[in-house]
Amino acid sequence: MLNLPRWQAIVIIAITVLSGLFALPNLLPSSVLDVLPHWYSQSRIGLGLDLRGGAHFLLEADLRSVLNERLTNLSDSVRAELRKQQVPFKEVTVDPGRALVVTLRDEAQRAKAIEAIRVVDPALAVSGAGDTIRIAYSDQELFRRKKEVIDQSIEILRRRVDETGTLEPTITRQGDERILLQVPGIKDTTDLKRKINQTAKLTFHLVNEDVAAAGANIPATLPPTTFLVPTREGLQELRRSNPKAWEDIQTANPRLSPEQICRRYQPQCLPVLKRVVVGGEDLDDSKATFEQQQGGRPIISFTFNSAGGRAFCAATRANIGKRLAIQLDGEIISAPVVQSAICGGSGIITGSFTPQQTQEQALLLRSGALPATLTIIQESTVGADLGADAIRAGTVAAIVGTALVALVMFVAYGPVFGGFANLAMLVNLLMVFAGMSILGASLTLPGMAGLVLTVGMAVDSNVLIYERVREEKALGRSAFSSIATGYERAMSAIIDANLTTLIAAVLLFGFGSGPIRGFATTLSLGLLTSMFSSTIFTRMLLSIWVRWRRPTELVI
Amino acid sequence: MWKPVHLFAFKKKFDFLGQRKAALILSTLINVVSILGVAFVGLNFGIDFKGGIAIQARAKEGVAQLDTLRSTVGALGVGEVSLQEFGEASTVLIRIQRQDAGPQCVAGAQRVLQKRVGAGWQAKPGAAGTGDVELTSPAALDGAGWRDAVSRVGLTILERQLPRGATNIAKVDMTPEQQAEWCQQVAIKQVEDAIGTNYEIRGTESVGPKVGDELMVSGIWAVLATMAAIVVYVWFRYEWQFGVGALIAMLHDVISTIGIFVLLQLDFSLTALAAVLTIAGYSINDTVVIFDRVRENMRRYKKLGLVELLNISINETLSRTLMTSGTVFVAVGALVLFGGPVLYSFSVAMLWGVIVGTYSSVWVACAGLVYLGLRADHLRPAEEEKAEKAKT
Repeated sequence: MLNLPRWQAIVIIAITVLSGLFALPNLLPSSVLDVLPHWYSQSRIGLGLDLRGGAHFLLEADLRSVLNERLTNLSDSVRAELRKQQVPFKEVTVDPGRALVVTLRDEAQRAKAIEAIRVVDPALAVSGAGDTIRIAYSDQELFRRKKEVIDQSIEILRRRVDETGTLEPTITRQGDERILLQVPGIKDTTDLKRKINQTAKLTFHLVNEDVAAAGANIPATLPPTTFLVPTREGLQELRRSNPKAWEDIQTANPRLSPEQICRRYQPQCLPVLKRVVVGGEDLDDSKATFEQQQGGRPIISFTFNSAGGRAFCAATRANIGKRLAIQLDGEIISAPVVQSAICGGSGIITGSFTPQQTQEQALLLRSGALPATLTIIQESTVGADLGADAIRAGTVAAIVGTALVALVMFVAYGPVFGGFANLAMLVNLLMVFAGMSILGASLTLPGMAGLVLTVGMAVDSNVLIYERVREEKALGRSAFSSIATGYERAMSAIIDANLTTLIAAVLLFGFGSGPIRGFATTLSLGLLTSMFSSTIFTRMLLSIWVRWRRPTELVI
Repeated sequence: MWKPVHLFAFKKKFDFLGQRKAALILSTLINVVSILGVAFVGLNFGIDFKGGIAIQARAKEGVAQLDTLRSTVGALGVGEVSLQEFGEASTVLIRIQRQDAGPQCVAGAQRVLQKRVGAGWQAKPGAAGTGDVELTSPAALDGAGWRDAVSRVGLTILERQLPRGATNIAKVDMTPEQQAEWCQQVAIKQVEDAIGTNYEIRGTESVGPKVGDELMVSGIWAVLATMAAIVVYVWFRYEWQFGVGALIAMLHDVISTIGIFVLLQLDFSLTALAAVLTIAGYSINDTVVIFDRVRENMRRYKKLGLVELLNISINETLSRTLMTSGTVFVAVGALVLFGGPVLYSFSVAMLWGVIVGTYSSVWVACAGLVYLGLRADHLRPAEEEKAEKAKT
C-alpha cells in the first residue's frame, strides 16, 4: 500500500501542479497578471453579485397574453379566408390561452372550412364535430413559439441593456418562461428598467425613389423630408474594407447620425422619407419560411397587429412599385419592393435569399419590440460597498478558520503528520479554486462559508487515518505497517462520510438558486477534491517521508 | 520540534450507554419541543420563502433610529414592517411583508410618481377584477416621456401598451398577479423616498409572491429528497439496523436544528436551508465511524453483550469523533465570529448541528441499535469471510 509505483507518484504530482497552475491567476496580483498571456490571466473565478455589487432580476414573460394575441390575429386571418372561400359562418371566437372556435352556419361546409383553415396555417391542429371547429396550435408548435419568445426577449434585452458594451450583463433562460438578468456594478435600477422599457428602434420608411434614381451621385442637399441611412451590407462592406473608419464610427462621441456616417465614410446608403410608415412595436411576428408555390424559395413572412396592419395596408396600396426600407438601429436591414397592397396584417418579403439569410433577417425584424411583457418577480441589488464588506468578513472568517484548523492539526499530530495534513488542506483549497476556474463558477458569500466548512471537513479524513495509525502503532506494528494499515482501514469510513455530505451538497445545488448554489459548488468541489488531497496525496507524502527518514518509531 | 498532544486520549472508559434512558428522555424532549415550537411559535421565515422585501440601510450620520424608522415606514401603508439592527449600530435591516395588488398599492404608486416624476401625477386602479392601472400626467407626454415615467415607478411593460402620441393618460393592462409583483417595486421606491434623506440604501432584495411560494415548496422537497437519498445510501452500505439507527440520528439532528431556529428566532432563509441540508449530510459522519468499529468488534468479540460492545466501540473511536467534530467546530466558530451578519443564522445553525450531530451519534444512533436488538448474526459476512467461504 505504501510502496507507490513511480507512475502513480508522477500522476499525483502532475494533478497537484496542474491545480496550482489553474488556481494561480486567482492569487496573483494584477501587476503580474498584466504580463502573462491573456488566455491564462483571464481564467479567474468571478465574484458573485453579492460580493461584487450589482443588480439581479428574475423576469417572467407573460406568454399567455402573447398566445392570446396570436390567436386574435389568427381569428382575423381565418375570418378573411373563410369569407374568401365563401364558407358561411356564425362566429369565430377565441378560447383564451387555448384555441379558436369556429361555428359554421352549415355543417355540410365543414370540409371546405377545414381546407380554408389549412390555407391560413397548415400546422394547425383541427378538432371538434358538427358545426363547430376547434383550431389550436399543436403542443410542438406551442413549445417552439414559447422558446422563440424567450430567445427573442433575451436577444432584445441584450441589445438594450448593453448598448454601450461595457456592462457585462449575464442574461440566461431559467425554466420555460423566465429570464435571469444580472448586471454587475450598477446600483440604480431605474436606469436599467428604463433600458428594458426602451423603445423599439425598428421602423419602416418609404425610399425616396426620386433621389435614389441618382445612384451613387447623391446630391449634397436633400429635400427636408428625406435623410440618408446606410444599409447593413454597406456597413459590413465598410467594416471589411476600412476597419479604421469602422472603429471611428463605433467610438465616436457623441454618436454619429446615420446621415453623418453616410456623408463621411460613404458606405452604400439609401435616401428614405423621414415619415415612419409603421414602427417595430406593431410587428407581432416574423419568421423564415418557404414559399408555398413557385419552387419553395426561402422567404420571410411577417405579421402586424391590427393598428400596424391598417397603416401598412394604406402605405403599400399607395406605393406599389416603390421600395420600403426597414430600418433597425440606424441601419437598413432590407428594402424590398412593394409588389401589391398588403392588407390583412401579414405579408412576405421575397428576394434571392439563402435559408440562412432569411433566418437572420427574420430575427432582426423580431428584435424591434419585446414580444411579451416581462414582469420582475425577484430583484436584488447590492451596493459595491456592501459587497466589499461581505468580501472582508468572508476573507477574515476563511483565514481565521483555516489558521485555527491548521493549529489544531499541528498540536494534535505533530509537525510531520500535522504538517502533511495541513499541506493537503492547502492543496485541497488550490484544487477547489482550480475547479471553480475550470467550471467558470463564481464565488459568493455562502460559497466562502462553504470553503471554510470544507477546510474543517477535509482534515477529518486525516484525523480518521492518523487515529487508526495510532491504534495500529499501539498494537505493536512497525512504523511502516501502521501507516499502511491506517490508510487501508480508515478508507471506508472516509468515503461514507464524504459521500453522504456530498449527496446533500449536490441536491442543494439542484434545488437552490443564486448565492446558495455558490455554497453547494464550493462544498461539493471541496469534498470531492479532499478525497484526493487528504488520502492519496498525503499517502504519497508519507510514503516518500518513510522511505527517506526510515523511522523506527512513529511520533504521532 | 514539538511532540503531538493526544487531545482526547482518555484513560477512563465511559459507560455511555448506561445513560441511554436519560439520553432518550432528553432527545425526545428536544425533538418534541422543536416540533411544538414549529407548530405553535413558528419559524421566522425570511423573504426567500415568504416573499417580501428586505432593505439594508445605513444612517448617513450617527446610529440608526429604529423607532423613528418604524413609524416612518409603517405609515407608508405597505403592511407589516419589522426592523433589526444589522451588524452595526448604524445599519438597519428593514423587512416588509410581501405586497398585494390593490388600491393601497396604486395610491403608493401615485406618491412615487409625484415625488419622482412631478407633482400633479395621478394613478387610479382600472376595472375591478383586473390589475389595470390608469396613469394621468399633468401635461401631455410623448412616447419617450411615458417610458421614462413608468420606469421610475418600477414598471416594465410592453412598448405597445404605452401611448404613442402626445397624450396625458395611459392605461396599463395588467393581471392582478402582475400588479402584485409590481407592488413590490412600488413599496421599495416608497421606502427609498421616505428614508432616503437620512439613510443610504446599501442593498435591497425583493421576492415576489410567486417566487416565494415556489421556493417554499422546493425547499421542502430539497430536505425530503436529501434525507431520502442519504437513507438509501446508508441502507445500501449497512445492515438495516444501522440504517435505521443512522436515520433516527439524522432526523434528530435536522429537527433539533429547526428547533434552534425557532428558539433563537433566527432568520430562516435559503442559507438556513443550506445549513439544514449540510447538517443532514454531516450528521452521518460521526455515526459511520462508530458503526464501522461496531461491525469490526462484533466480528472480533462474538460473545460480548451488545451494550458492552457498543460502549467499547464508542470509547475506542471517541478521540477521533471529538477530533473530527472539533476541527469543523473550530472552522464554523470562525464563521460565527467573523462571517458577518448575512451568514450569522447559517453559522449558528451549523455550530449547533456539529454539537448535536456528535451527541446523536453516540446517544441516538448507538442507543438505537440497542433498542433495535442488533445481534452478531444480523451482520452480512465481511469481505475476508466471503473470500474464505469461497475457498472451502
